[in-house]
Amino acid sequence: MINNRLYQFIDILRDANVNISTNEILLLFESLPFTTITNKIIFRQTLQTTLIKDFTDIPIFQKCFDDFFLDSKIKKENSSELKSSIKEPFHFLKQEEELEEIIKKFLNGRDENLIFEKNSEKFLKIFLEEIEPSSHEAGGVGFMLLQLKKSWINNYIKNKKSEEDSNLEENHDYIFNSWLKDQLKRKIALKQVGSQIKKREDYLLNKFIYQLTPEEIKEMKLLVNRFAQKIKNRISLRKKRVKHGSLDIKETLRKSLQYSGVPFKLVYKNKKIDRPEIVVLCDISGSVNQYTRFMLLLTHTLQDLFAKVRTFAFISNMVEITNLFIEMNPERAINSIFTDTNFTYGWGSNYGRSLNQFIENHSDSLNKRTTVLILGDARNNHQDPGLNSFLKIKDRSKNIFWLNPDKKHLWGWSDSLAKLYENYTTEMKEVNSFLDLSDFIDKLFA
Amino acid sequence: MFKDIKQTIEKLKKENYISSAEIATTVYLALKMEKPILVEGPAGVGKTELGKCVSAALNLELIRLQCYEGLDEAKALYEWEYAKQLLYTQILKDKLSVILKKEKTLLAATKKLSKSEDVFFSEKFLIARPILKSISSPKKSVLLIDEIDKSDSEFEAFLLEVLSDFQVTIPEIGTIKAKKKPLVILTSNNAREMSDALKRRCLHLYINYPTQDLEKQIVALKVPEANPKLIEKIVKAVHKIRGYELKKEPSISETLDWTKSLLILGYKSLDHPEIYKTLNLILKYEKDIELIKKNSHEIFHDQ
Repeated sequence: MINNRLYQFIDILRDANVNISTNEILLLFESLPFTTITNKIIFRQTLQTTLIKDFTDIPIFQKCFDDFFLDSKIKKENSSELKSSIKEPFHFLKQEEELEEIIKKFLNGRDENLIFEKNSEKFLKIFLEEIEPSSHEAGGVGFMLLQLKKSWINNYIKNKKSEEDSNLEENHDYIFNSWLKDQLKRKIALKQVGSQIKKREDYLLNKFIYQLTPEEIKEMKLLVNRFAQKIKNRISLRKKRVKHGSLDIKETLRKSLQYSGVPFKLVYKNKKIDRPEIVVLCDISGSVNQYTRFMLLLTHTLQDLFAKVRTFAFISNMVEITNLFIEMNPERAINSIFTDTNFTYGWGSNYGRSLNQFIENHSDSLNKRTTVLILGDARNNHQDPGLNSFLKIKDRSKNIFWLNPDKKHLWGWSDSLAKLYENYTTEMKEVNSFLDLSDFIDKLFA
Repeated sequence: MFKDIKQTIEKLKKENYISSAEIATTVYLALKMEKPILVEGPAGVGKTELGKCVSAALNLELIRLQCYEGLDEAKALYEWEYAKQLLYTQILKDKLSVILKKEKTLLAATKKLSKSEDVFFSEKFLIARPILKSISSPKKSVLLIDEIDKSDSEFEAFLLEVLSDFQVTIPEIGTIKAKKKPLVILTSNNAREMSDALKRRCLHLYINYPTQDLEKQIVALKVPEANPKLIEKIVKAVHKIRGYELKKEPSISETLDWTKSLLILGYKSLDHPEIYKTLNLILKYEKDIELIKKNSHEIFHDQ
């Protein structure tokens, strides 16, 4: 029984997008003889220490654990109640397992997500209707359900008899159906514990950034951290490089001269790891500043992956804000951008003026290894584009990428200079959601 | 060996290590299951300390390997004593020429020499580095591999054999199996992600900042001369401070330093008008101090 519960729990974690391999499951079962299920903390830690290997998954694990083992109805953290929820003595244990089998067969080839989004009432209806036609063939799902019903009712009568007189025959159908409904309801509830977490994450990551509500942005803070950590992990694994080269014969022989030709010291050809240097130019005017926020959060969480990050922000003045991030936590640094510095000269964004200022004051940040990232909608309020400066930036750097939150068909429309700038960039890309941003960063390292 | 989880907590406490039930559970399981532990968490929460205290509590030898960029097999597992080998060949030059004198052709001489080359690749010329040392030790030991994230990813590959089978293969000699499986504790500050292969072999333990209760116990234990009321106030304030958006949050060691310094200064409570001058003991960035100063009323007076 406990094994069954554990497998169910593992399924839930997997629904919530937590990676669990067979090895971890083996580890868990290996640990069971040494642990106890009567103490919540110890039991939870046993599961966590064996199953969860990525600490960014821990909050999700804890939420799933609470939802699954400590039903919300059980408010008190009472150890005996936890025990009973795991070891509950079921009269219908065997039937329950059979039903599980039937549901599995029923789901075979159907879209699980579509079915589990329904409420139990509808689920039951679909379940019974679709099973009906095959009910008379032996071995079919319907036949199995029929068998199950018989054995369930027998069992029911047996258990009831001792307590009261047997019920009327007609009632059994109804009681069986309500048992069935309860089971399906539980099944849906279980399924939703995990998949709802994942759904919410996917929703937030894919939503257009400018449509996010302030509450959602708050909610995303944790998610962004978790996500950035995952990108970081992935990239740093990919960046595996051979740092220790082979024996450097020439250098070893030269060194051996000191010891009259005996090679006491061996020299190897070691390689340097090259990490990209990046310069980020962010438009922080009202139309794009939500994008900027996420972009800056992302680049600064990933800071150690780059050799150097320098950050500039502009509306109509170009200002270096690298230091804010050195001194402060990224979240606070972003908030203080607007209070600490003066970006405006005149009215609205002025790309030309800002680019000119960049070349004039900060061109020392560019060299042949630099990748320049520009984030902005290129809406210049009909002012001079500063193309000369833009070309200089292009000439002095390795790559220049432009991330544009505007829809592609709006590029070049009205006061947008996107089409003009695009000709001189390595690539201009439309970004809408957080996922677009992170995909782009991911590709920088490919 | 610890008898159960409760005893694990008690014995660690005797070594001045206050452990939560979570930490004790993982340590206990690792000992029972003979699996390595991978410990992660922010700096200064006592990851390395855990390894030291477990070895002291169980009265086992502690073998420590500090990782760094460029650490390789030769420094961690074993190394042929190259210089000694060379030295011996130089000294034995005469002896060698006597033995090889009779041989007429170069081929015959080489054949003869290769018969005795085992001499130079025997355990006499092998330097056992920490990992081999803990494997070949006749008694059970605790192998603490500190800051594994600082090492290169190739280094992890060497570790895999040790972590899953507790053995080291030396091509020239063969496989050395552990007589007594050591308890392996790996710590990481997350500068780099560990490979899945390594994680799969370990129990995972994430140590976060302790709860207020636990931290109070830790401070009381390490700074016994402080009065409980002051400790309570300090711990409460530190927990509040951790809630702000800081570049670097104060860790346990900073709480301890702060407590000690307040004692030296003779401050009886945090209401002291000069309290903000001591903030540099727990905060390492100017802007962080500024932020806390700005909110000092909520943190220090509103208790």
